[in-house]
Amino acid sequence: MVTKTSADVVIVGTGVVGVVIAEQLLDAGHSVLMIEAGPRVSRAEVVENWRNAPLGVKGDTSVAYPSRPWAPHPMGNEKGDEAYLQLSGPDSYAQTFIRYAGGSTWHWAGTSWRLTPEDMRLKSLYGVGRDWAFDYDTLEPYYVRTENKLGICGPSDPALQWPRVARSAPYPMPHLPFSPGEERFTEIARTLGYNNIPVAQARNSGMPYDGRPACCANNNCVPVCPVAAKYDAETALHRLEKKGATILVDSVVYKVETNAQNKIEAVHFYDQHKETHRIDGKLFVLACNGLENPKLLLMSKDDRNPNGVANSSDQVGRNMMDHPQLTLTVTTKEPFWSGIGPVVNSGIMETSQGSFRSEHAGAYFRYNNFARNRFVTFAALKKGLVGKALDEEIRRMTACTADIVAAHEVLPDPNNRLTLSDKTDWLGLPKPHIHYDVGEYTRKSAEVYSLPIGKRIAEAMGATDVKISPKFNQSKHIMGGTIMGNDASNSVVDADCRAHDHENLFIPGGGAMASTACGNSTITMVALAIKAGDAIVDQMRGA
Amino acid sequence: MTRQSKDPNGTLMMSRRGILLGGATLFAGSIAASLCPTLSLAAVDAGMQGQFMKLSNLLIQHQLSPAVGARIAEGATAQYKNLPQMLEAIITIAEKNKATQVEDFFADIPEGELKDFALWVIAAWYSGSSSDKRDATVFTYEEALTFKTTSDILTIPSYGISGPNLWTRPNLPLSAPMPTF
Repeated sequence: MVTKTSADVVIVGTGVVGVVIAEQLLDAGHSVLMIEAGPRVSRAEVVENWRNAPLGVKGDTSVAYPSRPWAPHPMGNEKGDEAYLQLSGPDSYAQTFIRYAGGSTWHWAGTSWRLTPEDMRLKSLYGVGRDWAFDYDTLEPYYVRTENKLGICGPSDPALQWPRVARSAPYPMPHLPFSPGEERFTEIARTLGYNNIPVAQARNSGMPYDGRPACCANNNCVPVCPVAAKYDAETALHRLEKKGATILVDSVVYKVETNAQNKIEAVHFYDQHKETHRIDGKLFVLACNGLENPKLLLMSKDDRNPNGVANSSDQVGRNMMDHPQLTLTVTTKEPFWSGIGPVVNSGIMETSQGSFRSEHAGAYFRYNNFARNRFVTFAALKKGLVGKALDEEIRRMTACTADIVAAHEVLPDPNNRLTLSDKTDWLGLPKPHIHYDVGEYTRKSAEVYSLPIGKRIAEAMGATDVKISPKFNQSKHIMGGTIMGNDASNSVVDADCRAHDHENLFIPGGGAMASTACGNSTITMVALAIKAGDAIVDQMRGA
Repeated sequence: MTRQSKDPNGTLMMSRRGILLGGATLFAGSIAASLCPTLSLAAVDAGMQGQFMKLSNLLIQHQLSPAVGARIAEGATAQYKNLPQMLEAIITIAEKNKATQVEDFFADIPEGELKDFALWVIAAWYSGSSSDKRDATVFTYEEALTFKTTSDILTIPSYGISGPNLWTRPNLPLSAPMPTF
């Protein structure tokens, strides 16, 4: 065991949440040490991993990010006891995330929908779920700061913005143009009364931003932007180091240590040689998102905190959420040619809102804009065609198939719970076990609302065939687990993502979100991180 | 001891250098393979490789890379014990039909092992992989023929073909001519 006094603030995790907080603290003059479980790799290595993967598995993002033995993350080829995530329940909480320096924004799409005011008041307005600890007006300035920090482009026309409430500042870049297929999809949606609007996205639109180049339509945002036109947290690490941050990699934090005052005193980690280390500090931030944070807190139980650190409420690991999605794969006569431009570039958001939310979930619809070759080539080959017929079939299937995705909200349910499995990883640490059921609220939406809408859209597209996912798939938007609230008896963190139980412990990110809405969670995670960062700066100043 | 992170730029520079050197090697290899397939990277008998490319050119009427062909031939050697006999058998059928394109003789290949092998060869060229499974051998990504069939409108993912925000264009009808490749 090596003990080392480290820095004013110790941040566990180097994903986007940890990175934005680190920069706030460095800019405020505090020393920062960041601890990352996984490796630090170059963009070129990730790109080559993906290019060298077989065509049939290129849809699996994990092929670009092989996990290290000491820092396992979900890999598509691992099943049963071998898998990192041990799953049970009617639905599978099969997430992907990356334990690499830079975290999971390596492979996010960059989609950045804000919550609406209504999304934050589900209990008050619709009698379901939870209200947030604060309202939209409180969060709005942090959204603006997020949009400027990450470089989020979006429309300047209020009619095309989401949500449909006044913004306090414009997006830093204009929205990206639609591909021809998206233009056609938008026209078709309009005939049904739906508005397919440009998505706000963390992608440089028409210009460089933050030292990164403009998007040139590599159509590979997921699993990695080869040129870093899309924001990912890896792009900020070098800048943080220039500002004085120390970043430890291949260092797996396994224990949060409390002292007699029940403040956090230190964190303990393993290196990749299984040697243990201890780092102390004045204030600690857990920025490992909704799965690793609760796992670490539960692993850290001690005499003062017998249910785990920050867990006097027994809510750590509960309320696991995501955006359960159903995909309609349509075959059309008309070519749409998905794959021109970024992989997600638009969406129908208005279907996420309405008084129906007292009865069932809303849904957001998007036209997936991935080039289709990888999805259709083997299907065409299996038809036994050769010569010109084969060429024409691949071309037709690439042009005339498309995925329409309905992403749903779920309610926080304490029974959707992460616990520590009796299965262990390479270091001997328990794997996370997650029991998950999307719930009747979401299932009813699929039955009476989202799939009927999806089918109408498919019909309007002239679909000759529609294949619908047989079950809900996960969106990899990990939420819940360390839920926020004003009542310490039923929540883990307060409105600044400070642990109710420990005044010098902050747990910002998706785990704190009290509702999911339907849009991707990252922008809200970052807004919460910036809000927490402000609170940390104040707290360090003694305010 | 506590370790500090390495500056990835050093790694990146090494990687770039490695990529450049590797690219130069690959390029040289491709040139050599183009000029003389027997010098290709694959450890496959020259006669066998020649036969494999002959068969490939009978099954697929497009420009085929000898370097990629060498890799597929190597994969075929490992996968098919009686590869020489199958190559000979299918080539004989094509020659008997005086075939100039696959449509002239493909129907005459007997169902079973021979037909399955012919389809495997075609699939390898179009997908760049030995199968659709996770453990497939990758022969090529960028030169997989599937991408050639759509090269007039779609990028190969991870390679950009347009400038900033320059992808607005009219959609192509299916009747648009197939790219030449």
